[in-house]
Amino acid sequence: MAAAHYRRDGATPLEIEIEVEGLRKTFGRREVLKGLTFSVPRGGFLSIFGPNGAGKTTTLRVLATLLTAREGSVKVAGHDVREDPMPVRRAVGFISHNAMLYPDLTAQENLRFYADMYGVADREARITELLERLELSARRHDAVRAYSKGMRQRLAIARAILHRPRVLLLDEPHSGLDPRAVDILDGLLTDIREEHTFVMVTHDIAKGLEWGSQLMIVEGGRIVYERAAGVDRDSFSAVYREHVRDGSVL
Amino acid sequence: MSGWGQIGAILRKDLIRELRTRDMLVSMALFALLAMVIFHWAFTVRGDTDLTYFTGGMLWVTFVFAMLLGLNRSFAQEKDEHCLDGLLLCPVDRVTIFLAKTVGNLVFLLIIQAVAVPVFVLFFVEGGFLEGLPAFLAVLLLADLGICALGTLLATISMNTRSRDLLLPILFLPLIVPLLVAATSATTLVLADGAGVREIGGRLLFMLGFDAVFLVVAWGTYDFAIGE
Repeated sequence: MAAAHYRRDGATPLEIEIEVEGLRKTFGRREVLKGLTFSVPRGGFLSIFGPNGAGKTTTLRVLATLLTAREGSVKVAGHDVREDPMPVRRAVGFISHNAMLYPDLTAQENLRFYADMYGVADREARITELLERLELSARRHDAVRAYSKGMRQRLAIARAILHRPRVLLLDEPHSGLDPRAVDILDGLLTDIREEHTFVMVTHDIAKGLEWGSQLMIVEGGRIVYERAAGVDRDSFSAVYREHVRDGSVL
Repeated sequence: MSGWGQIGAILRKDLIRELRTRDMLVSMALFALLAMVIFHWAFTVRGDTDLTYFTGGMLWVTFVFAMLLGLNRSFAQEKDEHCLDGLLLCPVDRVTIFLAKTVGNLVFLLIIQAVAVPVFVLFFVEGGFLEGLPAFLAVLLLADLGICALGTLLATISMNTRSRDLLLPILFLPLIVPLLVAATSATTLVLADGAGVREIGGRLLFMLGFDAVFLVVAWGTYDFAIGE
């Protein structure tokens, strides 16, 4: 059973937004997730660490309905990802190091397309708001192909939160960003921190500790360490080295 | 947004992208026109050769191979830029994606045919084309629908494999043969013998059945085809 989460009074249980029990996933004969069990309360921020190939991104992709679990139960926003994927997709925004944007379309055309797919009622107002917030208004009519990596990532953030999701899944969101883009991303995360539940996969221990209210280390498809936040970087790095065979720490 | 609205959004996106890059249309049109020219010069070495009975075969071989070029491209950009993940994250029924992609491929094939058929008529058809036009259009639409439905389903399956460029023709060509035979013979009867819709009714019904079968198959399997 996934652990229950309580408010600071220690008595009032928090509503669970993400609940994973016994999650197993195989690719061919290779089992990449070996029975993951965890939960994230509404408004929580889970930072997942681990080496390459540990199963972090696969976990996120199962939560986002992009992959199907072989075994186990996965619920997001109260809905089973396999039995009832549509409400899950409406509730989830996914930010990856792949921008998922059409390079031959402009920023505005990309956002219009995704807004139509999600049925965003106030499409033009929402697009204008996000482009201004992410400092992309001046380039809204440029093809995405002409954007820098940082600009693409900012636009990818706009794409992911366009439909006002309750849950944000972040797959190494800071990867490859210039300092300005990191500032903008962090500023945006600060702005929307209270309204969303987050799961972030990262190699960046400093960022993971800065944002996370829950910390988890995954190695070889298993959770090898988890705790609530409130640990300093040196202690966590030591724990990471202890639990991960290739424990190089960023 | 309704499924129809989502079909419209995907279709609009694909059309804008294609009109901007012309990736599919240029390669398909060039292939179709080149094939017509080669057939024309190959078969008219002797000036008195009657080409009328070859017309159906030439036409459909050209269109099927032109469409293969387009089908390979239609999913490549979604996959290469990881846009497929973006599309699959949306609250959209997978069958809606299939229908949108099929209609998109159908539109591209019809654009190519709007260019290639007049050239074909100029090269190979001697008079009487307009009388057979309704029957010819019926064959064209039913065959196009089957080519695009089957092609879209198989392009989706092959997209997730390492050898997608090779796998698509290996899967597509054997399966499209029954439709191709019916379309070829119906086209030849229309253009060579002046047959009308009634005379080729059996072949039209067969093509309609073929289209229905693969639309139903896609309906039932597309969730798996476009998944992992």
